[in-house]
Amino acid sequence: MNIVQFAKRNKLLAAVALTYAVLFITMPDKAVLSIKNSMYYVIEMLEIIPVIFLLTAIIEAWAPRELIINSFGEKSGWKGNVFSLILGSFSAGPIYAAFPVCKMLLRKGASMINIVIILSAWAVVKVPMLANEAKFLGVEFMGVRWILTVISIWMTAYIMSAIVKKENIPIYREVEIEKINAIDIKEQYCIGCGLCARFSPDHFEIMDKKAKVKKKKIEEEKVAGLRLTIEKCPAKAICFK
Amino acid sequence: MDVFTILLWIIAGGALVISLTKNKRRTLNAMKIARGMMGNMIGEIAAILFLIGLILTFIPPETIKSVLGQSDQFISTIVSAVVGSITLIPAFVAFPLVGSFVDIGAGIVPAVAFLTTLTMVGVVTFPLEKQEFGLKFAVTRNTLSFLFAVMIALAMGVLI
Repeated sequence: MNIVQFAKRNKLLAAVALTYAVLFITMPDKAVLSIKNSMYYVIEMLEIIPVIFLLTAIIEAWAPRELIINSFGEKSGWKGNVFSLILGSFSAGPIYAAFPVCKMLLRKGASMINIVIILSAWAVVKVPMLANEAKFLGVEFMGVRWILTVISIWMTAYIMSAIVKKENIPIYREVEIEKINAIDIKEQYCIGCGLCARFSPDHFEIMDKKAKVKKKKIEEEKVAGLRLTIEKCPAKAICFK
Repeated sequence: MDVFTILLWIIAGGALVISLTKNKRRTLNAMKIARGMMGNMIGEIAAILFLIGLILTFIPPETIKSVLGQSDQFISTIVSAVVGSITLIPAFVAFPLVGSFVDIGAGIVPAVAFLTTLTMVGVVTFPLEKQEFGLKFAVTRNTLSFLFAVMIALAMGVLI
């Protein structure tokens, strides 16, 4: 990867590096001071990053997604709310990574309240992030904010379920088996984990850290195998069409 | 390292050992996925950390204190909430940034407002949310989240 490509992909980093470069030439003392000021936070971050990485990986490996996913129906009550909060809290990735997962749950019959809880919890109260927050802002700060946030999420969800009905949400029908003839990847959701390429190497490949469809046409006998691969996708970014 | 960080290391390390002995392949696969998720953020993390140094050098603490500290808390809270709504940096890198502001005297209330809207309200991801869940859902969720974020912030100011 050459420098131009790197800078394009990391615009902010490139801008900061450039600022430092200019500063070192024009005001070297200020540049040194800035580096010194940053070092405290760099060291703090280095202390916590491996922990966050390990927690994310372990949650990814052991969260019993399937078990939880089956407990979100309309009649799931408070138990469903708690499960929703847990699913959201034990996930990784930004809020938009939750969109396809929530769409799948809606199709499977999850209630509006639970969908909103998952979406909000996914965005705000992730466990590895709580560790990070406590590190930089204190345990008390993190704890109080967590409690207040959980209460607001729950209230938001109940208000939402009164205002927005399921009919307001566009849901694509599951494609019937006889009509399946191609696969599609929603690239904005792909996290480039490579699971699809590993399970169905004939149909998927990883290019530029994103999954690409290798062979658009699919034969009928491949559908069952591909369905498994689609379910394996952690971002739920693949679908039949 | 403070006690809290050491405790987290022990928890994470212990969980890793248990996870590895229970199922090595599954653990390694999950680590690959986690690496992919975090790898994309490393550049941004480094950028923010070194940006903090620049901010601390060139914006005197008194300025931050007067803008985000004592003056008019209500206005600075609303402004922080709006900035949080339109900014798209991962919460992951926001904590050290906000922590550095609080360290030099920014108020808790605007800090919480920023942190909460940063993750819960998404102006940049709004089109995507609208496409997936419809206009009514996206508007209602983002509006409610914004209002609650301000309320959480004000409550934090009373409690801490």
